[in-house]
Amino acid sequence: MSPSREQEFRLGAERGDTPLLPSERVWGFWGFAYANSALAVATWVFLIGGATALFVGPRQGICAVVIGNIIGVILAGCSTSLPCGKYGVEQFTFLRSMFGINGSRLVYVLSVVVLTMGWLAVLGLMCGRALDNLDTLVQQRPAGAGDGWLVTAGGLLAIVLAAAVAMRGPDMIRRLSAVIAPSLILIMLALMYLILQRFSIGELLAMPALQLPFEDPHVNFMIAVEINIAAGFSWWPYLGNLSRLCSNQRTAFWPNLVGIFGAASLGETVSLFAASTLGSSDPTTWMRLAGGMGFGVVALSFLALANLTGMVNILYTAVIGLRQLAGERLRAMRWGLLIALFCVIPVAIVLLLPGIYDGFFIFLVWTSALNSALAGIGIADYFFLRRQRLNLRHLYAAQGESALRFCKGFNPIALVALVAGFAIYVVVFNPQTLANTHFFRFVTASLPSCLLAGLVHYGLTRLLAARLGWGGYPQGNERTLQAGPTC
Amino acid sequence: MNSEVDVERAQDLDRRLRAYEELQSGQRWPGALTTTDCVALAVLALALVVGFYLWGGQP
Repeated sequence: MSPSREQEFRLGAERGDTPLLPSERVWGFWGFAYANSALAVATWVFLIGGATALFVGPRQGICAVVIGNIIGVILAGCSTSLPCGKYGVEQFTFLRSMFGINGSRLVYVLSVVVLTMGWLAVLGLMCGRALDNLDTLVQQRPAGAGDGWLVTAGGLLAIVLAAAVAMRGPDMIRRLSAVIAPSLILIMLALMYLILQRFSIGELLAMPALQLPFEDPHVNFMIAVEINIAAGFSWWPYLGNLSRLCSNQRTAFWPNLVGIFGAASLGETVSLFAASTLGSSDPTTWMRLAGGMGFGVVALSFLALANLTGMVNILYTAVIGLRQLAGERLRAMRWGLLIALFCVIPVAIVLLLPGIYDGFFIFLVWTSALNSALAGIGIADYFFLRRQRLNLRHLYAAQGESALRFCKGFNPIALVALVAGFAIYVVVFNPQTLANTHFFRFVTASLPSCLLAGLVHYGLTRLLAARLGWGGYPQGNERTLQAGPTC
Repeated sequence: MNSEVDVERAQDLDRRLRAYEELQSGQRWPGALTTTDCVALAVLALALVVGFYLWGGQP
């Protein structure tokens, strides 16, 4: 094989076409910990910290941030980082083992495409708010009630700019990303310094919540925990593909506790203090109010740029994955056209549903209804049904020849489990109305969803999969089964 | 699936799959999560959840 062909296949493996060999993986512990922290400390930590402050004061908020994030990150990491870090497989290729080839495409659309479109709209509107606050600050006029035209125009401009940068490819994205994470850390440190100039730690911890939706403080606390579990789970669609670049399974797992748990929790805590002391959950308002004209102009400009970088990153990653999974028709489409089409729905959300920004946590919690069930299915399938041993040949075989063909490429068992997990979540805690059952006060909604989805998947697979010859699951002392019949 | 590049691509995939099959057939997998890791993770998670709940989670 020629060196150029070898290089081409190596690049293909990096992009997820084939498993990456341990010798080809680029990240050690600290490399992944840095990349993980840089991803975690983005503008979303401001939003999550601000949303937490709506329900609880800083003392309870810190507890909610730590408890919620550790639960979400561990469950998301166990279901993605451990298998992908062990075998070097692309996450949605790995998902074929539980959802089937077409089922994993469906999960991609539900978890990555919908999530990315929502985030593009939220971050675009945050850019718009940053521009609006910048205008208010520079013109030295009082802030108006409600969103003006500048917010919508700024949001649309941000989406167009993100699309334009994503069309230019990964080099420009890497250059932008390298400066953003350190700048955001500096803004957070400055914010914390400005807050501590005015309040002691004791005063900070004793502050009340911004807007208590329920009289029962325990319910408000559990909603704050749920928001933070959702924040941890929101990494589920991305973690596997980052972990496969790590040198081994341990290196793929532990840095998650440094970055998307540790760094994110610190960032959210600073945001919680800022929201509580400045009386708003909107990060763009803090930057205007916290430190006068000079700090405001610099911080708001960086915030707008950081949002843009985050948007470019998620847009590029989502569209790359979509091309990998969607087949020849989308692969043949021009890259620029595909990016532009992907941005149509986020543009519509900015125009028609601008309230998504202020009710951002509702969107986040909806995604947790899906991600928690996906994590439960992943844990049940990989740890308890496959006993941590994957047959990679099944994953990469053509659909007609693979034991993972299930029923027309979909595993109905995993899909039933997904629906069951999603349904129990909404019954226990409705993300739209915040209506909750008594059960929610003790166990949150994500944990029952994760558990039920896992149990349904495990039970039905044990009961039906072997009889139907689906999935190549090991039986008894067997380690793998060969391909069976299909429906 | 008959062009030279397709054949070479299939060979490359096979080489990668064989590498993992060899690892799987061995006694231990280098860098795999151990029982100590799992216990440490469980203790850490429990300590954080219980500790922070007792510190400030109770209304």
